[in-house]
Amino acid sequence: MKFADFKYGLSEFWSEFKKERSGLVGLAILILSILVVIFEPLILPWKEANTKWRSIDYWQDNSAGAPPAWTNFFSKQKAAITVRLENPKDEVIEMDGGIKLATYTFDYDYTADKAPLDVIFHMIGHGDFPVQVAVERPDGQIIELAQRFEQGLSGQDIRISLDNDGRESVFTFIKSHESEEALKEYSSKSLRTCNIVFNQTREGMATEFKSLKGNYKFIVRALLLVPGYSEVEDPYTVVTGSVSGLLGTDDSKRDIFSGLVAGLKWALIIGLLTSAISVLIGVMYGIVSAYFGGAVDSVMQFIYQIVNSVPILPVLIVVSAIFKPSIYMLITAMVLFFWTGSVMTVRSMALQIKEETYIEAAKALGAKHSRIIFKHMVPLLIPYSFASMALSVPSAIVYESSVSLLGLGDATIVTWGQILHDAMQGAAILKGIWWWVLPPGLLIAIMGMTFAFLGFSMDKILHPKLKTR
Amino acid sequence: MNSLLKIENLQMYYFTSKGAVRAIDGINLELFPGESIGLVGESGCGKTSLGTSILRMPTPPGRYVEGKILVDGVDVIPLPEKEVRKSIRWQKISMVFQGAMNCLTPVYTIGHQMMETLVEHQDMPRSDAEELMREYLGYVGLPPEILQRYPHELSGGMKQRAVIATALFLKPQIIILDEPTTALDVIVQAQIINLLKKLKQQFDLSFLFITHDLALEAEISDRICVMYAGKIVELGTNEQIYGIQRPSHPYTERLLAATPRLFKKVEQLHFIPGTPPDLIAPPKGCRFSPRCNKAFDRCFEEEPPLIEIEPGHKVACWLFH
Amino acid sequence: MYKWFAVKRMLKGIFTYVIIIFIMSVLFNTVNEQTMRSSIEEQVRAETMRLKNMQPSALQRFQEQRRQELIRLYRLDRPLMERILFRTWNTITFNFGKSTIIKSSRGDREVLAIVGEAIPRSLVLFTVAMAIEIVVGIILGLKKAQKPGGSLDRSTSLITMIVYGMPTFWLAMILIMFFVYQLRIFPSGGMHTVPPPQGIMYYIDFLWHMTLPLLTLLLIGFWGIAFVVRNIVLSILQEDYIMAARARGIPENKVLFGHTLRTAAPPLITMSVLSLLASIGGAIIFEGIFSWPGLGNLYWIAVQQNDIPVLMGDLAITVGLYQVGLILLDLTYGFMDPRIKVGGKA
Repeated sequence: MKFADFKYGLSEFWSEFKKERSGLVGLAILILSILVVIFEPLILPWKEANTKWRSIDYWQDNSAGAPPAWTNFFSKQKAAITVRLENPKDEVIEMDGGIKLATYTFDYDYTADKAPLDVIFHMIGHGDFPVQVAVERPDGQIIELAQRFEQGLSGQDIRISLDNDGRESVFTFIKSHESEEALKEYSSKSLRTCNIVFNQTREGMATEFKSLKGNYKFIVRALLLVPGYSEVEDPYTVVTGSVSGLLGTDDSKRDIFSGLVAGLKWALIIGLLTSAISVLIGVMYGIVSAYFGGAVDSVMQFIYQIVNSVPILPVLIVVSAIFKPSIYMLITAMVLFFWTGSVMTVRSMALQIKEETYIEAAKALGAKHSRIIFKHMVPLLIPYSFASMALSVPSAIVYESSVSLLGLGDATIVTWGQILHDAMQGAAILKGIWWWVLPPGLLIAIMGMTFAFLGFSMDKILHPKLKTR
Repeated sequence: MNSLLKIENLQMYYFTSKGAVRAIDGINLELFPGESIGLVGESGCGKTSLGTSILRMPTPPGRYVEGKILVDGVDVIPLPEKEVRKSIRWQKISMVFQGAMNCLTPVYTIGHQMMETLVEHQDMPRSDAEELMREYLGYVGLPPEILQRYPHELSGGMKQRAVIATALFLKPQIIILDEPTTALDVIVQAQIINLLKKLKQQFDLSFLFITHDLALEAEISDRICVMYAGKIVELGTNEQIYGIQRPSHPYTERLLAATPRLFKKVEQLHFIPGTPPDLIAPPKGCRFSPRCNKAFDRCFEEEPPLIEIEPGHKVACWLFH
Repeated sequence: MYKWFAVKRMLKGIFTYVIIIFIMSVLFNTVNEQTMRSSIEEQVRAETMRLKNMQPSALQRFQEQRRQELIRLYRLDRPLMERILFRTWNTITFNFGKSTIIKSSRGDREVLAIVGEAIPRSLVLFTVAMAIEIVVGIILGLKKAQKPGGSLDRSTSLITMIVYGMPTFWLAMILIMFFVYQLRIFPSGGMHTVPPPQGIMYYIDFLWHMTLPLLTLLLIGFWGIAFVVRNIVLSILQEDYIMAARARGIPENKVLFGHTLRTAAPPLITMSVLSLLASIGGAIIFEGIFSWPGLGNLYWIAVQQNDIPVLMGDLAITVGLYQVGLILLDLTYGFMDPRIKVGGKA
């Protein structure tokens, strides 16, 4: 088929397609998804979500099972949002003997009604040095929170968590504000550090939290004892709130939004690859079967019936359970079943084309089989193939998510099905963690809907039988 | 003599998204008892539309715009659907459709479909109904076993005969036949035409015979009506239209010339150049003028009315003014 | 004519089934045999436990002897092809053997009993859903076909496309989250409350448990059927014979329900039943979410617990049911379409 013909056919198709609103919506969503995939590195709030999805360390500063940040809008008592504080004001003071005092000050504006769960300080350390953390509160009070002596470090990450390391000092702090009586029931172990640090100082503060809103300065000091050996780099602080991110966190503290964005490309890859390859195979199979007819057709029909009679999911499950396949092997397995989908329609269409006199004419002229098939039959079936491909995508995505839901998916990647699997494991339904259950499935449904829009619009245009006379 | 069917200035347009297609644009026609009028014209001239319009079922998106269809003196256009269904359709006028292949529902037996039609219009006990059906099948030359058969089991000719029997048994006075033999081979075609002629005589029927085949019309019709682009361009008796050296509308002339004769040497096949006009925006003046080889200025400006050039022979052409 | 067609079809179905089971046996032979060998070991060990007062050497000889006996019993010492054929034959005759872990409600480990109990539970849910979906789908589809392009038609088509890619199990999750845990109207799963109530309450309790799964299936199911019905009916309404029927004075409702629907019945039934058969496979997860003790749930439990005999039995039954469905479909189609029922020209 000449390129000019192709372009003409395409522009004709497009002028019809433009009229279908649902088709345009589908196209828009598809383009949007592709853009998201391309710009994924920019969009991801947690950049290494793809590779570090199953690492515990990467997510450890988050709170588990935190609702999305915007739910704050609906609650009277605003919870603290998990934030990362970077770029502190940094000051290095030279002292005698080459010893340096590095001071990093982090600014934090606290406006919530509920206390944060933790404040975590990170830095990369080399050599030996003591580290101190203190906070200057809006009411002017300064609390020494924690201190540690680091030794023999060579570029490792230091993590100081107020909730773990700050309890002692905070207990001391509270003693100066509360009576012995009130504190009798508490020990340094039973009070949460942040409940004190961010609390208004008054009597009864041990039992009741009233947030002290305002600007907090967290001061981290490292005394670099040995010049050239002790060093501190890349300090940052995380304030762990009880709400986090665009779509909250799951039981393992992972940011769900990042997971969903990471899963988008896999949904597209799985859907498009499976449907494209299986429809291609199916179309060729149907054409060959119809064209050669006779014994070839009978054998091909027989094989088709066998494959068509096997229910897909049970076999996929057993195969995945035994062989634990990668995502591409899963795609291959699905293709091995999906190809049957378009065969029958293509075969009947091909049979009709075969009866056309121009095919007879071509044969009389001595055209080779491959020429007739590729020049005369395939181009007529391409429009149908595209509609067919679009309509197979949702099934492919759902099958993969079904397999992943059972925990049999590819463990090296993140897919929406896997997120749902984790949700089931984490009893999210029972616990009402809707932000874990709703979004992944919703995205699967939206992706399915998108391709349904696309496929049905294409089908409407290319199957004129359905138009009213 | 009173006319059975009188069509007065009928206008029926198809209202599509691209505009109104003026398929029937001012038709006047009268059908008298015992006569057969043939309606000829190219595809798309409006003849099938006229057929369905007379039965008060224009194909959507068609709608009546103007005019009357008087059946026994009563205008059927404003009648409620129920009444049309009960007393007009099939009782007074029945229709034999184009495409014998496909005008019987494939999942019901012939007997079922015939019985259904009978029972819908007349209350009679089953046994009487079956009697009647067998009788009419006999008239069309079909054995009674046909009643148990499904449409796909019959040949085209047999199906058409069954349809004709169904069109007759409520004894309507008018039968509209829309290309009843187009889908059949020549031999069967001849059989059906002979059958129709016989039945016309036997039951004193009036036909409105629609076809594009001029030779066929000559066989069966008493009067011929030539249609072009939604209008009647010529109306006359068989003799007046087909007779050689008779005055005619240029279109009719060319239609007749285009039919190859068996016994004349054919040097070149005559055809009418050009295509039928777009009925959404028909040309000003005579609709045939763009393709007419005898057209002059007036033809392009004003539409010629239908005038009688000799008793019973009407032509719509400025040549005759 | 029809009888001949029916017999041919059934034979073809049986033949296809045998081939599939054969292929399955080939594929799963190794896995099955490994499980078998380890269960033989277990059995030998169990038997040895019961024997006391035996010399170690005598014990060993006994073990070896028993092992060989069992291997011979299960034909593990025969050539590969024979083993496969043996397995195929067993599966076809529903001789599934014993499970490794799962027990039936009677307490035994007959795979046939275990799978047999699960069948009616799945069937009741899915056939009721199918029946309702077809009825509602036909009614809605007809209404849509009467005014194509109208507001009902467009809005329902939109919903059809929206739910096209929606996983049933996800909708199940959402509905459970809402109705079970928020509103507390329905039970969270299973087929009965434990312990099940007596008398009429037993049935009401069962219906109560079935409501939410049924609702989930219905919410997604009937749109597709309505869409297909609409398209088939529309294309029939454009046929000449419908116009001919109207011209003959047949009232509109007879034209619609008689001529149109009756002609639409064969392709319609085909499409509906095919799509429903396809959902048999998806039942695995669906039943799992609702803990509905049917074939799907059983399959999943068998995979998790590595109970290969039950898995094979379940798979064989599922494939068998699928074949039966296809056969019934073709037979019904043949019956309803006179071109097949009665055959060629007179």
